[in-house]
Amino acid sequence: MWAALRVRAWSRCSLNSQPWKQGFSSLSTVVDGRKCPLDLTEIENVLTDVKADDVKVIPVPKHCDWADFMVLATGRSTWHVKNIAQALVYKAKQKQKGAARITLPSVEGQAGGKWIVIDSGKVIVHALDEKARAYYNLEGLWTSGTIQNEPIEDLQKAMVKVRRKNNSKKPAQKNA
Amino acid sequence: MIQSQTHLNVADNSGARQLMCIRILGNSNRRYAYIGDIVVAVIKEAVPNTTLERSEVIRAVIVRTCKQLKRSNGIIINYDDNAAVVIDQEGNPKGTRIFCAIVRELRQLNFTKIVSLAPEVL
Repeated sequence: MWAALRVRAWSRCSLNSQPWKQGFSSLSTVVDGRKCPLDLTEIENVLTDVKADDVKVIPVPKHCDWADFMVLATGRSTWHVKNIAQALVYKAKQKQKGAARITLPSVEGQAGGKWIVIDSGKVIVHALDEKARAYYNLEGLWTSGTIQNEPIEDLQKAMVKVRRKNNSKKPAQKNA
Repeated sequence: MIQSQTHLNVADNSGARQLMCIRILGNSNRRYAYIGDIVVAVIKEAVPNTTLERSEVIRAVIVRTCKQLKRSNGIIINYDDNAAVVIDQEGNPKGTRIFCAIVRELRQLNFTKIVSLAPEVL
């Protein structure tokens, strides 16, 4: 496991970091210069309409350039979570006018309904049920700047040797 | 280039330490898996007292490979080891945090969940 931490990733790159997203262009949800399918205000309106609980908007720290905002929403059941995702996609589809094609947000996890991610370019919406939200603790990951500390603490706990309980008869004799 | 019998490190806190690939999902006679491919794997080594155990069969997404990943703008990314993230049948990651820097191609391949758990995106 320490090997995982020691891993070095290097990129032999030409220094212009601008055109990241050119590869995979047919698959990409984000296209430079084009607008995102959904705005923040629209997403918030939709989330209030479908009565999503505990909506949180988190601005992503600046060193992560792949998104601007993360929106977290809780659904009461798997059906509710699925409906949140459907409502957002429906809203994006409604924006299409005439024959002009728009890029729809990509949806991940629609089948399960525990954690659905709607990736509309710069704004990413996470719809989770309550258990999944507590389990993954995305707020803790994205609000506290110390992303590195938590997993390392976990690791150290895993490494600590736990001494077995003393089951010898001596203390029992004392009690008796 | 991950093929069956390749040993993989684990890049998350799911509790597995080492995996062995036993099948690459996709085409029937597919030879190699690269970053962003799903493989079926066996847990060869696990952290004690966790939900995952040794010799359990799971699915995993490849996130680091020694084989270079080339982008069309000339950037080449390769890592020192091969590693994967454990997922379940629905595609939710088993662990809650991912440790290494991750390539952004994973997002285009619809692994946004893994990307959003990662500390850094290359």
